[in-house]
Amino acid sequence: MTLLIGALTLGLMLSLLALGVYVSFRIFNIPDMTAEGSVTLGASVVAALMVHGVNAFVATGVATLAGCAAGAITGVLATRCKINTLLSGILVMTGLYSVNLRVMGKSNVPLLEVKTLANFAENLGVRLFGGTGDLNVAGWSVGTRDASILLCVFAFVVVVCLLLYFFFCTDLGTAMRATGDNPAMICALGVSVDAATIFGLAVSNGLIALCGALIAQYQGFADVQMGIGIVVLGIASVIIGEALVGSRSVGLLITGTVIGSLVFRLLVAIALRWGLNPNDLKIVTALFVFVALVMPNLGRKYQSSRARSRQLSTSKAADIYAAD
Amino acid sequence: MLQIDRITKTFNPGTPNEVRALRGVSLDLPNGTFLVVIGTNGSGKSTLLNAVAGSFFVDTGTISIAGQKITNWPEHRRAKFIGRVFQDPFRGTAPTMSIAENLVLASRRGKPRGLALALSHRVKEDLKARVRPLNMGLEERLDNPIGSLSGGQRQALTLLMASWIKPELLLLDEHTAALDPKTADQVIRLTYEIIERDKLTTLMVTHSMQQAVNLGDRIVMMHKGQVLHDLQGSERARVRPEDLLGRFEAVRRREQLDGSVAEMLATSYV
Repeated sequence: MTLLIGALTLGLMLSLLALGVYVSFRIFNIPDMTAEGSVTLGASVVAALMVHGVNAFVATGVATLAGCAAGAITGVLATRCKINTLLSGILVMTGLYSVNLRVMGKSNVPLLEVKTLANFAENLGVRLFGGTGDLNVAGWSVGTRDASILLCVFAFVVVVCLLLYFFFCTDLGTAMRATGDNPAMICALGVSVDAATIFGLAVSNGLIALCGALIAQYQGFADVQMGIGIVVLGIASVIIGEALVGSRSVGLLITGTVIGSLVFRLLVAIALRWGLNPNDLKIVTALFVFVALVMPNLGRKYQSSRARSRQLSTSKAADIYAAD
Repeated sequence: MLQIDRITKTFNPGTPNEVRALRGVSLDLPNGTFLVVIGTNGSGKSTLLNAVAGSFFVDTGTISIAGQKITNWPEHRRAKFIGRVFQDPFRGTAPTMSIAENLVLASRRGKPRGLALALSHRVKEDLKARVRPLNMGLEERLDNPIGSLSGGQRQALTLLMASWIKPELLLLDEHTAALDPKTADQVIRLTYEIIERDKLTTLMVTHSMQQAVNLGDRIVMMHKGQVLHDLQGSERARVRPEDLLGRFEAVRRREQLDGSVAEMLATSYV
């Protein structure tokens, strides 16, 4: 049960990352590598600030803004400086590695002595459930700390999803979706594609840094390596989500992305439980995304090649009849 | 309304691929003029339209709309004045977004976009009322993604979108070239209705002599980046498709002559 709750909590936190990747990868069609740096940036900023005695809420907010800034830089490189989008992301990601080390001052900052958001959630839970003892949920005993963190993260993710959904329904939000869908059209309707892209990447990386900040506080440390492979992880969640909801409507896709992140986390937890070597996790994730990206194309190719061979055989038959 | 003053544009200057696409084009379109631009391939007619739309900046010369000099304005800023329909039906609409969302995007062309909800119930009724006259049954399908529509339907919607807020200038870039003849006919009729209704100043590029003769009240024929003929008033009224084709033929012959004469001179004197 603890395993399940842990997976769900982490899955919900990572769904913020998945939402960020959804914004850049699906709405703007940009595979944004900045994420690998900005998730760590969020964690390192939150850790550095909190170690210096800044309130957890303020620190999380600042971390989010730092992520927005990183995304905006990638956006500027990609649009104003006309650098290939993938390369822009890689440049910022590489630079962020040093920035993160500078921010933290070392490669790993523990958050044991400070009051994190996880502690706030725990306190809230204690007041809500009336005690620190284990709770009885349908026959299982669940630690109050675990349960209250899960509930708070869930509520928070729901709020973020609603905000994101309403944003994409506003005039500005629809214009941003159109930017990814058809830049020529939205430009002819008076929206600067550059500005929209920069803003979109800022929103995306803000979400991703927020995810990093939450995870650091949940795990109790920030580590400079924590961002490695995180983009693929986000893409995996987005793809699972799309497969689950199978729709193009934004509201459903946002929900799907969150569910995708949860499902992915659960699959990982199960795989680890069954004895998957944690070192192999990244290649399994990469293979999964590879297969998910290639499958639709292969399916189409198979169908068309079958159609062609059928056509060929009928035309051959026609030739034979004609020869008679 | 639209003033173009001696604009020039050279693509890839100083390379073997250098193209002098516009060589000093000047045009003055009074309010309400429907100008049709024709010309051979590579004559610069689409380049002229793109120069006005702001797809690139001209090398020299100035462009003004409604008394404002827009020569150095980026494309998205010019959208305040300009409604535009592309040749490719896929370029004018956002395919994965619904018809209603596309229309709402167009209803804010050139205006600041804030955090107000784009689609309210009231807005939707308004959209329905304006889509109904197209007679395509689209008013019942406002929530469908636009990518599910045919090219003709998409082009009709793009036209509606370009003229949603009355533009100072409507740019039509061979907007029926990619459609089948019957659909092209419908779209042309719709174009004519909209332009007549709103008295729009229009610049239309076309390959069809028939369209040129039937539609506009002024015809400009371009060749090699320059205005070759500018037919207005009584001259325009008398012109028939055959006359235009004749003028094209004349251009072609003169060109052949230029080539062969140069060759003859070279063989006999060099």
